[in-house]
Amino acid sequence: MSLCDLKPGQYGYIHCIKGDPKLAKRLLALGCIEGTPVKVKLCAPLGDPIVINFRGFDLAIRKNDAKNILLKEA
Amino acid sequence: MLTAALLGNPNVGKTTLFNYLTGSNQYVGNWPGVTVEKKEGFIEDKIKIVDLPGIYALDTYSNEEKISKEFLEKGGVDVIVNIVDASSLNRNLYLTLQLKQFNKPIILVLNMIDVAKSKGIRIDYEKLASKLGVIVIPISASKGIGIEEVKKLLKGGNFFSPLNENHYHYTDDEKENYKFIEEVLAEALVKEKDEGITIGERIDSIVLNKFLAYPLFLFILYIIFKFTFTWVGQPLSDAMDEYVLGGIVSILETLLQNSSHWFASLIIDGIVGGVGAVIVFLPIVMTLFLGISFLEDSGYMARAAFIMDRIMRKIGLSGKAFIPFIIGFGCSVPGIMSARTLESEKDRKLTALLVPLMSCNARLPVYALFASIFFPGNESSITFSLYLLGVAIAILIGILFKNTIFKKDEEPFIIELPEYKMPEIKNLMMNTWEKGKGFLKKAGTIIFSMSVIIWFLSNFNFNGMTDMESSFLAYIGGIIAPVFKPMGYGTWQSSVALLTGLMAKEVVVSTMGVIYGVDLHNLLLQHFTPIAAYSYLVFILLYTPCISVIAVMRKEFGNKMMAFSVLYQLLLAWIASFIVYNVGSLIFG
Repeated sequence: MSLCDLKPGQYGYIHCIKGDPKLAKRLLALGCIEGTPVKVKLCAPLGDPIVINFRGFDLAIRKNDAKNILLKEA
Repeated sequence: MLTAALLGNPNVGKTTLFNYLTGSNQYVGNWPGVTVEKKEGFIEDKIKIVDLPGIYALDTYSNEEKISKEFLEKGGVDVIVNIVDASSLNRNLYLTLQLKQFNKPIILVLNMIDVAKSKGIRIDYEKLASKLGVIVIPISASKGIGIEEVKKLLKGGNFFSPLNENHYHYTDDEKENYKFIEEVLAEALVKEKDEGITIGERIDSIVLNKFLAYPLFLFILYIIFKFTFTWVGQPLSDAMDEYVLGGIVSILETLLQNSSHWFASLIIDGIVGGVGAVIVFLPIVMTLFLGISFLEDSGYMARAAFIMDRIMRKIGLSGKAFIPFIIGFGCSVPGIMSARTLESEKDRKLTALLVPLMSCNARLPVYALFASIFFPGNESSITFSLYLLGVAIAILIGILFKNTIFKKDEEPFIIELPEYKMPEIKNLMMNTWEKGKGFLKKAGTIIFSMSVIIWFLSNFNFNGMTDMESSFLAYIGGIIAPVFKPMGYGTWQSSVALLTGLMAKEVVVSTMGVIYGVDLHNLLLQHFTPIAAYSYLVFILLYTPCISVIAVMRKEFGNKMMAFSVLYQLLLAWIASFIVYNVGSLIFG
């Protein structure tokens, strides 16, 4: 399951980040690391990108990249 | 002199602190080789503060981060001033940990303590200081609280004391780093209440609403345009043109009454005419930037980028690039300048190359003249079609460049949506003034020399001073005229107008006025067919931007980009105009 599968308002916990190593590094530096609770806040009017929230701040990210942020299975 | 490096995440009030610390005693330049702004400021000539770009980390490959890292390593930094958002320490302290690697004393400035307090966050400053081995100063930059303490500390030079007692070393394992931050915060920070739904979230539910987002976005743009081109900027420009410039010209005319004709002409027509034509744009540029700075500081700009991303991706750019295009409809100069805010060098370059294709205000008088003569009754649809054509061609060229010279994988796009806040007047003013100064200084020098050259060419030939018709310019016009023959307007007059139009596109109109004289209307009808006239307008729309744009292009990106932008637009204009004329002739001819 990835971040992309959450609907606005739903929570999850980060498992790991795949894909583009640069983006992964940036997200890690921002504190998007294993176990961090993350929430999908809303979708853009055209459905992409989405706004996610972790560690108290809002980040816009494209769905393509959100697919690479895997969540822990509940 | 002591050198202090000012660092922090974006949107934490870094610029505000910098402005308060240094006042007007600051200098803006560029870091060598990249289009990242370099700001330096001084406190009483004792301390140099270098305002480094807003970054989240030091090693995730962006230009901003590379610059900051290199400066910390080689810039002779004595002390690091690390400003953080007190209400978002969890993330902000990551950069602090990385900064500790440089083994320099760190002053940790906790900004927005008032906001943190209102959010129910209480911080034990001493504990935070001892845990991290830094000096902690709580401030509220927007309210001016605590700024003096920072200044005093810097001036006293006594920040070396609590060096790294806690020997935590930044590791490559982000999990460890954040674990350490969480441990520190568990001891030094108490969160008394949960906020529930914040005001920001309420605003977002409207601003980013599925149905309201775009209408609201257009409305905001409309207001900024009104502000710039109707309410404030344009009237100021007009007033400046009439009273200031007009005044200077009449004073000069009296002063130069007895000097030789050529000298008076050089000063008045050449220098004042040329440079003045550009300087009157200053109020427009500044008001536009005031509006843009307001959007940026308020936090809305990031939202605009967010809702436009999906659309901009089609031409290989991210949502952030939309803003420069909008500004470009007013004037390409601030449009290109605002491309600075984009993340990657490639985005900045591609944006700067496409922005001049948005039909700027200066092209409007040319459309108006030709449309009223050749297409009476259809002026507005003809003009609108040209604006649309510009956008359409920008999209096509964007797709073309994306797949050729700017070929790249789609870069990941992440952008923080900062909390909304009321922009501060002082910041807005300083920002706007800075932009205005840059426009005057850099664009001014090139325009000055170009004005003199064009004046010379249009007033002289090998026999000395002469009319425009037998001048070098007319001669040159005659030489290049055949190039335009296939598009239906191969006269030296129309070619010369295109040449002088390089000064500023509205000069095309005044040049035609000078060449054809009072009978402009009838003579134009003799020289152009309606299709040729439209094809001429297409050329005007697309060809090499005016020299202010060329100057800015050079300033922001260097000679190579400047040359490329000039050449590609010439070629583009020629091809498009050729197609319009020949296809048009087939259909209507």
